Amino acid sequence: MNGGKVTLRRTAGLYAGAAVLRLALFTLFPGLPDLLTGRVEISTPVTSFKRLQEGLFLYNHNVSPYDGGVYHQAPLLLPIFNLLPSFSAFPIFTYLLYIAIDILSAHALLRIAESGEAGSSARFTSPRRDKRWSGAIVAALFLFNPFTIATCIGRSTTVFTTCAILHAIANAISGRPFHAMVALAFASYLSMYPLLLLPPLILLCYDRQKLPATGAPNAWIKFTATMVMDVFGALAVLFQMSFFLTGSWEFLSSTYGVQLTLSDLAPNIGLWWYFFVEMFDSFRSFFLAVFWLHLSSYVGGLSVRLRQQPLVVITLLLGIFSIFKPYPSIADASLFLGMVPLYRHVFPLLRYSFVIAAIIIYTTFLGPAFYHLWIYAGSGNANFFYAITLVWGLGLSLLVCDLAFAVLRDEWEVERPEMAGKEIRQI
Amino acid sequence: MCPSLPSSFLLSLLSLLCFSPYTALAIASSPADSISNSRSDYHEQLILRPLPLSTLLASFNFRSNTSLSAFEAHNFRFFPRSLGQILEHAGTRELHLRFSLGRWDAESWGARPWNGAREGGTGVEMWAWLEADTDEEADRKWLTLTNALSGLFCASLNFIDSTRTTRPVMSFQPEGNHIDANATNMHLLYGVLPHEVVCTENLTPFLKLLPCKGKAGIASLLDGHKLFDSSWQTMAIDIRPVCPEDGECVLQIEQSIDMVLDIDRSKRPRDNPIPRPPPAHEMKCNTSKPYHAHDTCFPTDSAANQDWSLSQIFGKPIKGTCPLTDPTVSPVCIQVPDSRIVFASEGAVEKKNPDQTSRCFDFPAENDFEIFLPAPEAQDGSVVIEHVAKPETPLLYAERSFTGHGQERGGVQTILRNPSPDQEVEFIYMESLPWFMRIYLHTISARVDGQPGKADSLIQEVYYRPAVDRARGTQLEVRMTVPPASTVFLTYDFEKSILRYTEYPPDANRGFDVAAAVITILNKDKSGGNGRNSRFAAYSLRTTTLLCNLPTPDFSMPYNVIIFTSTAIALAFGGMFNILVRRFVAANEGPESGLKKGVNKLKAKLAGILKKGRKESAPAVAAEEEKKAW
Repeated sequence: MNGGKVTLRRTAGLYAGAAVLRLALFTLFPGLPDLLTGRVEISTPVTSFKRLQEGLFLYNHNVSPYDGGVYHQAPLLLPIFNLLPSFSAFPIFTYLLYIAIDILSAHALLRIAESGEAGSSARFTSPRRDKRWSGAIVAALFLFNPFTIATCIGRSTTVFTTCAILHAIANAISGRPFHAMVALAFASYLSMYPLLLLPPLILLCYDRQKLPATGAPNAWIKFTATMVMDVFGALAVLFQMSFFLTGSWEFLSSTYGVQLTLSDLAPNIGLWWYFFVEMFDSFRSFFLAVFWLHLSSYVGGLSVRLRQQPLVVITLLLGIFSIFKPYPSIADASLFLGMVPLYRHVFPLLRYSFVIAAIIIYTTFLGPAFYHLWIYAGSGNANFFYAITLVWGLGLSLLVCDLAFAVLRDEWEVERPEMAGKEIRQI
Repeated sequence: MCPSLPSSFLLSLLSLLCFSPYTALAIASSPADSISNSRSDYHEQLILRPLPLSTLLASFNFRSNTSLSAFEAHNFRFFPRSLGQILEHAGTRELHLRFSLGRWDAESWGARPWNGAREGGTGVEMWAWLEADTDEEADRKWLTLTNALSGLFCASLNFIDSTRTTRPVMSFQPEGNHIDANATNMHLLYGVLPHEVVCTENLTPFLKLLPCKGKAGIASLLDGHKLFDSSWQTMAIDIRPVCPEDGECVLQIEQSIDMVLDIDRSKRPRDNPIPRPPPAHEMKCNTSKPYHAHDTCFPTDSAANQDWSLSQIFGKPIKGTCPLTDPTVSPVCIQVPDSRIVFASEGAVEKKNPDQTSRCFDFPAENDFEIFLPAPEAQDGSVVIEHVAKPETPLLYAERSFTGHGQERGGVQTILRNPSPDQEVEFIYMESLPWFMRIYLHTISARVDGQPGKADSLIQEVYYRPAVDRARGTQLEVRMTVPPASTVFLTYDFEKSILRYTEYPPDANRGFDVAAAVITILNKDKSGGNGRNSRFAAYSLRTTTLLCNLPTPDFSMPYNVIIFTSTAIALAFGGMFNILVRRFVAANEGPESGLKKGVNKLKAKLAGILKKGRKESAPAVAAEEEKKAW
């Protein structure tokens, strides 16, 4: 009982600390939010706060924000920000909203960590499960990750997606499949790509149902159908609301069409933009299809191979999305890096942790420097920044692969407990 | 570039050739055939106006009318047939076309000629009222019109596509008298090509439209070498229906060329065109300066009072008058104070205007005409400014520039200065920007110089049509006021987008031209009401064009980028695939890998052969052969 109180106080302290840090950054450095909003590593065409403000301005002046090339974000964000007092007069309310969203995300992550799902799922229990970090540590690693802080100060709208995804996972683990599906629908509505998380999330919900699965052989089909209907029902409601809000369906092509066709080639840390800047026109649509196919091809493979640990599938997919989605930013990386500490028990099995850490730090510092050389100093060209995005992508993909390796080896050692710590190979 | 001419144009050229000016002259001058309005159907006039800093503004104006009934009956006399057919085919009710170069220096030259109504921004600018039932039909007709005019004027007007076309809402009003001026079937379309370089190939077709084809009359002065060497020049064509209070409606075509010539530059001989400082003994010093001494010299603006003559400046005198022109309009006028002496060639009649600042000349049709202005005598070294008509102060000064640095984002700042001490100026500021400049309208703000804080109340009305990538440009029209004797800064931010590498021009690092902003000062005196007598715009001006630098990719890299990115993706996918599909075994378990197996086998074999060799002392060749068999 006493321990619970201590934990509660520790968690509250952690959240308060994170909030105070962000508030201090917002208020002590008034130029910082706009500086970070302008960074390509934080704001992409589909998440930029400046574009949101422009959309809001047009929306308030009866110009459709979707009848233009600037605003590519979900329509429901407009009334949400419209309800807040005007940003130019009272920026503090926007700051508080972003801080609250970050803390909500951290709280969901804390619930995921406390559940112990990462170490022992319904079908699999890791021999190393005792070696894990408490929820507060995982939440602290998320909240005090510089990437998360920068995203929050830069007011990228990815934070809403992050929050929705984490809540979907937390709800799935705590046995509330409907809530999970609604949260996932929100995330998909905001950013589209989270819809690819649906299969592993259904698996997670199915494993974590409150009622033990009945003997009926087709129970899982019924369950899956219900889940899919939940998601699409929630999405339909959201779309209908957006339709009523904007009065037309043109928001679909402007928000999701841009992600599908990459018509805005603004530089970001992903691999798509430069590829499609340099792409020959006749092959553009072919490679767009290939890139999307590649992005979605991981879902099936991972869900099948890691059937016993759906949370791992979700984590790995989040890592892959943060590298290969059309407009990635460090916000996506911060979500993935926030999920990684859940697997504290397999850290000893990681093979390249030093290389990965070195690459991430190296690109974090060199990326902005090379971007400056290209855009401002003029002493470098686009290849400088492109090279860094390649290294960043390779570094993160190394982490994803290494984590997959570590988790699989952990699984394998259940069958072969005597192999712990021995040299192994794959055939 | 000159796209191939449409065949109908060739046909019309042929027909025009048959209709030579001399036959026209015969008709016009024969007393039996005295058509009542033939005399006023065509007139031309050249107005010369010396400006400060030794420059000369030459305004050529040619105007011809044709009655609407004659036009509809395809009876072309002074109205060029080639243009008439295009207008008819494209359903054009009113057309304005501008070819411009250079910058009007309002600070020294004052108000613009024609109150800015006959000028365009640098490059080519055109706007037209088309008759169409729907927007799509208007777009189709616009496309027809631009393509046809492109052929006629040898300009890249066919590049005015949807991204360069806007439909202004506030800035333009029809100049002509339309029966149904506000009817829904009148569509105004506006297109601009800031990158177009106006040159001789545009002047030739322009002169061809004139009844005298530039062979006689004031048009004989026009010559590409001089026109495009000027500090500022604009060629304009305006076609509009005009309905006088009494009488039949006519279709009027007005062609004008305004140019500001640098007298020093024009007088410089062709064989010695490089400007060199005059030798010390020829330098004229301003002795009124306190530091003037025998070894220091502040040069006077001596050039301002230099003498010049038409043939020095234009390279030739005027070759008589065009026989078709209205004789009641003097062909040449010069705006200098009456106190200044002007010599004209023999036979010319000088008529001084009552305002004491201008005089006109009539001269016989068959004689060459020449004007000579001797240098006014300087009085004791002081600058004699009154020998040049005092420039009129414009209603508004406007300058536009980019702010910020780098190729990622920037801002546009327009400085608007109202010189009037007691009158505020109300105007419409229009920008048509390319789509790759993504402007943030929420950042638009006005600020009065010298006053803290924003003055957004000066912005009264905004019409904004945001750009759509690769489909439509930004259209921004702002109605605003500038208080008397103050300077207003209008600013907004924009972001530069990176394009596909095939969308960059060959000189990508030069930058992209951004069209001039059009500022239309509204006419306060709206007493006319019906727009017939009062012009909609009191004054209009254009800012200079801007050069926007976009971030560029490495153009030599497409294959490399495709290969590198594909490799990165293949590494990630391959790594993941390997981990997912392979089984784990201990390092010493399972089947050996291919390479290791081969090496082990080879070792064993070699060892066996060596053993055998030692035992039987077989020749080494056999072992070698055995090895080769592997």
